[in-house]
Amino acid sequence: MSEVELSEVVKRYGVMEVVHGISLTIEPGEFVVLVGPSGCGKSTTLRMVAGLEDISSGTVMIGGREVSQVAPKDRDVAMVFQNYALYPHLDVAENIAFGLRVRHEKRKVIKQAVAEAAEILGLTEYLKRKPADLSGGQRQRVAMGRAIVRRPRVFLFDEPLSNLDAKLRTHMRAEIKRLHQRMQSTSIYVTHDQVEAMTLADRIVIMNGGRIEQVGSPMEVFLEPANTFVASFIGSPPMNLLDATIEIGDAGPLARIKGADTAPLPIPDAFRDQAAAGQRVKLGIRPELMRVDADPSTPGLACQIELVEPLGAEALLHGEVGRQPIIAKVETLSGVRDFAAVRWLGVDLSGLHVFDAGSGRSLKTASA
Amino acid sequence: MSNFNLYSRGDRIFGWINAALIALVVVSTLYPFIYIFSASISSGAAVTAGRVTLLPVDVTLAAYERVLSDKMFWTAYANTFFYTIAGTITSLLIMIPGAYALSRRRLRGRMIFNLAIAFTLWFNAGMIPFFLNFRDLGLLDSRTGIVVGFAVTAFNVILLRNFFEAVPKSFEEAAKMDGANELQLLWKVFIPLSRPAIVTVALFCVVMRWNGYFWAMVLLRGEDKIPLQVYLKKIIVDLSASDEFAGSLLTSQFSFETVSAAIMVASIIPVLLIYPYAQRYFTKGILLGGVKE
Ligand SMILES: Nc1ncnc2c1ncn2[C@@H]1O[C@H](COP(=O)(O)OP(=O)(O)OP(=O)(O)O)[C@@H](O)[C@H]1O
Ligand SMILES: [Mg+2]
Repeated sequence: MSEVELSEVVKRYGVMEVVHGISLTIEPGEFVVLVGPSGCGKSTTLRMVAGLEDISSGTVMIGGREVSQVAPKDRDVAMVFQNYALYPHLDVAENIAFGLRVRHEKRKVIKQAVAEAAEILGLTEYLKRKPADLSGGQRQRVAMGRAIVRRPRVFLFDEPLSNLDAKLRTHMRAEIKRLHQRMQSTSIYVTHDQVEAMTLADRIVIMNGGRIEQVGSPMEVFLEPANTFVASFIGSPPMNLLDATIEIGDAGPLARIKGADTAPLPIPDAFRDQAAAGQRVKLGIRPELMRVDADPSTPGLACQIELVEPLGAEALLHGEVGRQPIIAKVETLSGVRDFAAVRWLGVDLSGLHVFDAGSGRSLKTASA
Repeated sequence: MSNFNLYSRGDRIFGWINAALIALVVVSTLYPFIYIFSASISSGAAVTAGRVTLLPVDVTLAAYERVLSDKMFWTAYANTFFYTIAGTITSLLIMIPGAYALSRRRLRGRMIFNLAIAFTLWFNAGMIPFFLNFRDLGLLDSRTGIVVGFAVTAFNVILLRNFFEAVPKSFEEAAKMDGANELQLLWKVFIPLSRPAIVTVALFCVVMRWNGYFWAMVLLRGEDKIPLQVYLKKIIVDLSASDEFAGSLLTSQFSFETVSAAIMVASIIPVLLIYPYAQRYFTKGILLGGVKE
């Protein structure tokens, strides 16, 4: 039995539809991350699971029970908010205990549960403090403590780390992961940060404009993006997408890059079946799969480098291939050279992606 | 580092003018208090002759003896306490849930209710209809009439409502997820979060009740029910013409003026006692109520 199941869930505000029929099944113990650009409906979807927003149509099931008409408190879910929403008039212990107290749990049970949660989160010495006297990371932990004492069926997180500075965010990210490994609780986590999504998720749900673009494990969505949106959303810097046209050569389909003064590149086997002669496509090349030390006789792209951004162990080269912008990420440790003078970017052909230019869909055929 | 140049000449002059103006305000508000206190412990003859201006003349406690030995004074004092405490509690009991309801988006007819309440900020039915209304409700000469009839003021309801509206939505959502019902939400989240506003409103109620005069005078008949301010008026109007004072204007240790001064001093004492405590919330309350985050 799946833990959470959304079927054809739609959200409308007045006449404006913002979530267009989302279906998603989440297994017990799974950590699912909803990721996507601002305004794509992540929070709205999460809040419909929580019961904080009505569902315009479709159904939400939690633990095998249809909950569309069930109040948030009776759905057996807990939520961690972006701004923590800690009660300023209550101390840490009382904040954590709040959910149990309003449910009239026994004093002894509450005490035990609070102590346990505080122990797990390393909050034991702060139990008597007010939220105002805590650091951002500690507040974040209290917010999580408030969720875990209730031992809910499903945890919901709405950008819980976005109010923290970068360093603390990395730290808390690891803590959330550890917590999940320890508690094995089903979790739905909303973020617009792809690193958070990649590191935390068992499965990533990539959303755009109120729709799901792709669902898959972090490596799946990275290695096999279903469309240009996912390809350009996951990965940093994003995948290069070059306008190209399919030509059929002696050895199979080739992609001729628009405006480029380069021999057309053979496309990987997996994309060949769906490639038709003359088809307009987007040729996807990860910045990491380009080399500056390649010989112009090997497959690659003739380019102009306009800007070099050194990052330390790596450098980003911004340039143009036939008037189309391109970014390459190259390593610097094996010898820095005059990157600005690079005229040829070697391409690892096996890492190429081909997307239909019209629909944006990957031409990859589902195969082994 | 020196901060010599932090203030320009203009700033300093402005500072002095400010200080002078504040001193003026302080003096002009403090003077009546000092005068009333001095008058209350001066002899009646001195006050009547206009010899008391700032400091007491012919110090005597006669006025206080006269006041404290009057049974009616104690009754009126007790009544004022009753109206203040019962009135403030009643006000909060009605206005807090009312303002809370008005702050909820999903309240049906919310706009109309809010308009109706705001309407009374600027318009009211007038004195006679008000009186007739009380009469028809059987609330003339009734403690309940005073306590309940004046429990709700639009200004306070709006102040509380605005405060409740400004409570960030996520507190409410978090509490709902945690399992709080509507009553727990109000009691355990909104009221504690709005304490400055509630203390402010409570203080407004206390002051209004403590100084309550006009409607108590209009609506109450029985002397056993009148509050201090009405008693004070009785002393001033009734006794100034009575025999008790008439024969002894020049010789008596007290006059109706010193007696009323003594009553005023007595009526100020409790306010002086609670004000420092309430003031902490007072400024904060006004500010927070006005600013919406
Ligand atoms: N109460 C509302 N009324 C009308 N439209 C709304 C309302 N709440 C959200 N929306 C719209 O719904 C869409 C989805 O919003 P949502 O908050 O789910 O986005 P999000 O993916 O969480 O974005 P972010 O990353 O910025 O938090 C947005 O276009 C937003 O403008
Ligand atoms: Mg959001």
